[in-house]
Amino acid sequence: MQIAVKNISKDFGKKKNAVHAIKDITLEVEHGELLGIMGPSGAGKTTLLNMISTNERPDHGQIIIDGLDLTQLHDRDLAKYRRNKMGFIYQSFELLDSLNVKENVILPLALSRANKKVIEERFQYMMNLLNIEKLAQREVDELSLGQRQMVAAARALINKPEILFADEPTGSLDSKSATILLNYMQLINQKEKTTILMATHDAFTASYCTRVVFIKDGVVFSEIINPGNRDKFFEQIINMQRTIGGGNYFNVSQNY
Amino acid sequence: MYRKIIKRSLSNMRDSYLIYILACSFAIGVFGILLSMGGNPSLHEAMGWWDNFIYELSSIMSGLFAFFAFIYMIYVGGFFIQRQKNEFLTFEKLGMPSWVIVTISFFQTAIVQIIAWGSGLLLMVIFQKFMGMLLLYLMRIRINFTTSFDGYTLLTLFKTFFFSTVILSLVNAFKTVRILKKKRRKVNVKTRWWLRIPAGIFGIILLFSAQVFTWALFTDIRMISYSSRPINEILFILLADIFGTYLVYYGFLPTILNLLQKIHAISYSGLNLFSFKYLKERLFQNISILWFVTELSALALALLTFCYFGYQAVHESYNSSYPFELAANKDTVQFIKKELKQTDAKVKGSYKTDVKINLTSYYNKNSSTYTKQPMTFMSYSAYKSLPKRMHKGNSKIKANEFLKIDTPTGLMYRDQESESNYNIEVKGAPMIAKAKSGHAFPYGGSMHFGPMMIVPDKYYQKMPAEVNDAFYGWDFKKGDRLQKSQIERLKHYRDAYYMKVNFKSSLKDSTVEVIKKAPKQYDASVYTQVGYLREGNVKKRFKQGGGFYLYIVALFSVALLIALGSVLTLRILLRDDYQSRQLRTLQKIGIEEKEIKRIILRENTWTFLIPIVFALIQSYTAIAMFDSGRHISKNIILIFAGYIVLYGLFGIISYQVSWRSIKQKFRL
Ligand SMILES: Nc1ncnc2c1ncn2[C@@H]1O[C@H](COP(=O)(O)OP(=O)(O)OP(=O)(O)O)[C@@H](O)[C@H]1O
Ligand SMILES: [Mg+2]
Repeated sequence: MQIAVKNISKDFGKKKNAVHAIKDITLEVEHGELLGIMGPSGAGKTTLLNMISTNERPDHGQIIIDGLDLTQLHDRDLAKYRRNKMGFIYQSFELLDSLNVKENVILPLALSRANKKVIEERFQYMMNLLNIEKLAQREVDELSLGQRQMVAAARALINKPEILFADEPTGSLDSKSATILLNYMQLINQKEKTTILMATHDAFTASYCTRVVFIKDGVVFSEIINPGNRDKFFEQIINMQRTIGGGNYFNVSQNY
Repeated sequence: MYRKIIKRSLSNMRDSYLIYILACSFAIGVFGILLSMGGNPSLHEAMGWWDNFIYELSSIMSGLFAFFAFIYMIYVGGFFIQRQKNEFLTFEKLGMPSWVIVTISFFQTAIVQIIAWGSGLLLMVIFQKFMGMLLLYLMRIRINFTTSFDGYTLLTLFKTFFFSTVILSLVNAFKTVRILKKKRRKVNVKTRWWLRIPAGIFGIILLFSAQVFTWALFTDIRMISYSSRPINEILFILLADIFGTYLVYYGFLPTILNLLQKIHAISYSGLNLFSFKYLKERLFQNISILWFVTELSALALALLTFCYFGYQAVHESYNSSYPFELAANKDTVQFIKKELKQTDAKVKGSYKTDVKINLTSYYNKNSSTYTKQPMTFMSYSAYKSLPKRMHKGNSKIKANEFLKIDTPTGLMYRDQESESNYNIEVKGAPMIAKAKSGHAFPYGGSMHFGPMMIVPDKYYQKMPAEVNDAFYGWDFKKGDRLQKSQIERLKHYRDAYYMKVNFKSSLKDSTVEVIKKAPKQYDASVYTQVGYLREGNVKKRFKQGGGFYLYIVALFSVALLIALGSVLTLRILLRDDYQSRQLRTLQKIGIEEKEIKRIILRENTWTFLIPIVFALIQSYTAIAMFDSGRHISKNIILIFAGYIVLYGLFGIISYQVSWRSIKQKFRL
């Protein structure tokens, strides 16, 4: 077991109009798992990922990664931990406008002071893999949303993180790009045993996971384990989404 | 809804608005105080002889002040509109009619202006008494300052408030209109190397030539008295300095950062990848402000220094002209003593010194001629027994040395050490081969018709005299207390006697004839010995004038400093939206807070450091050349240091505030 989340909760806002984003969630993630987190909008998926990835602190509860209680760490140490171990694909991409695509992608490597040759090699590899070589010298604010998402993914994956957090990684992608990205995520998950936590609305995307946790109104509603057959798993996910409500009925990817 | 929008944008930028409002209300407060001084009854009572002058001066000063403050407000007010550019463009996209947006920006400005005026007027009411007392204290006037505001002041204040607010709001509304028309969100500045580098080099040449011309100017000022050349040179220097600095900034600041960025070994390590680009963007936006602040700081520094020089020069020449509060000679001493007895003056010290007047002849370097004139002689030990302040300003002499005291030829250029006098012939006494030089007359310059010579005791005893005289001097506690009528009577004794000198070709044959009555015809050969010298009034006026001068200079330089500092601070604070969002992003992808803090620190340091360094270099070279590096005195270093400390304080505040505003967005 790599990640253990124990009874965490999180409120936003002041007393009167407080939002209980996460009420009480307990969760365990094995090393090398590809965990899907699903739930209607506002269910608390992003908040949950943010807390596990130490971007936000829970109000109560513990988050233990590799035996280390992250809620006890100082902000400074958290940042270091985050940078060395984790990769992020944010729902809002979080690309730096001042930098062009290449600089954005190589930033994690530059931060860990990798040497220039390694940086160039890794960069070429990622860009080829995700089929976005052409974008290398473009400015970020000229890109389409889908292109931005791919760039964000390239940045998250370039330094081979141990744990990858992906918040709606396919939200703005066409089906081809989505498949490329998901295949790659599955590849590193299987080959390099990268633990991946992925929040999504999309049943097709979720069907790549080994396990899917459904949350609703800040608590875990249920979970489904991949039986080893994607078709069946997909069916199960759709059914669960129907049960919960607020899921994605109509936009089921035709590409499947 | 519009009210809500205005409220929200005001609270979003509250740190920046706070600084702006504080700076504005300071300016408004000072303006109000200056304006109200003109009609203040206590000032008029205290300085009767300044009467109309106070009024005019205060209105000129406040007008000047208001003018600059207004420029500042227009300039800085624009920052806020600039900052809201994206917001306004979004409003427009959402279908809000543009006149509504313009109205919003109009009222936003008006509200801020009203708040600033409110607090400014409050400051004025609170601090008028304090500022007035400070003024009176500096002028050494011991009366109480009463707070008062006359109708005229209030009316002017109201008018100024009304018009300035309306104009400012209109200006900002107009700026909004322009933003809505242009519609560009992010401007990508291109580095045009081929343009920037030559421009930068040209800038350096300009700066360099400005220095050369400064040097030429100061030699010219010393050499030629009436010519348009110095004026032209000053103009050239000003322009060259101003444009040179701009071109250097324009050409080199981005180029240097670009260069660093191109060296991958540096830029690929750590956060440099981001911070160079970020800093470059920020500097690009701020070049004109950096330039503006540099030039104004240089101006302020130079002005402060020259004011100091001026003050010092006047002060010195004053001190050397009026060393005793009351002085007399042997003809008038009895009478003055009698008058003094009738007052309740407390005598702190009284002095008497015998002097001899004799004829001399020497080569005068200044006029390049041989001069024959009578001179007053005093013995070394008599000179030494006078209070210390009498000889502090002169070169030091030993018991066997000579000292010639003369009025200085210019206010600024004095170097007593290098200025010696040679071969002075004295009638009936040995020639003086060498005499040191000084400018501070014991008993005051006006007691003498010409130069004075301090000679060794033996020389003094042996030398003959055309006229024997004695000087008397008094110091008092709190003035001599002479009544008006007494002063009227004293006026009869202003001239003690006259000396008509018959110069012959040789000194030996020349003679002096003492005349008691004023001669019918004054000609060059008639010299007057003054009967008495009363400095009481002059001293008072001098101190008052000096105090006033200090007050104004201090006020203006503090105001300038506040304006400059706040311009920079605001400029740093008012990042474009996307710029501050990026810092948050950095944090999200795992950059330590410490490092983000370092980016902010770097930004602040550069923004504050670049102008002050350039300003210091410019003003220092000007002063150094002016003075030929001879006495860059402790005091000037002190003035500079004080300025730097205050300026640095602004830097630190700005760093703290900008970090705070970034940190607010982090919310970990
Ligand atoms: N910074 C915040 N301040 C206040 N409330 C917040 C904040 N972030 C999230 N919330 C609230 O917490 C709840 C959970 O939000 P969260 O972003 O985790 O939802 P989500 O499951 O990611 O939704 P989506 O599928 O739309 O991304 C929502 O009700 C949201 O309004
Ligand atoms: Mg979300």
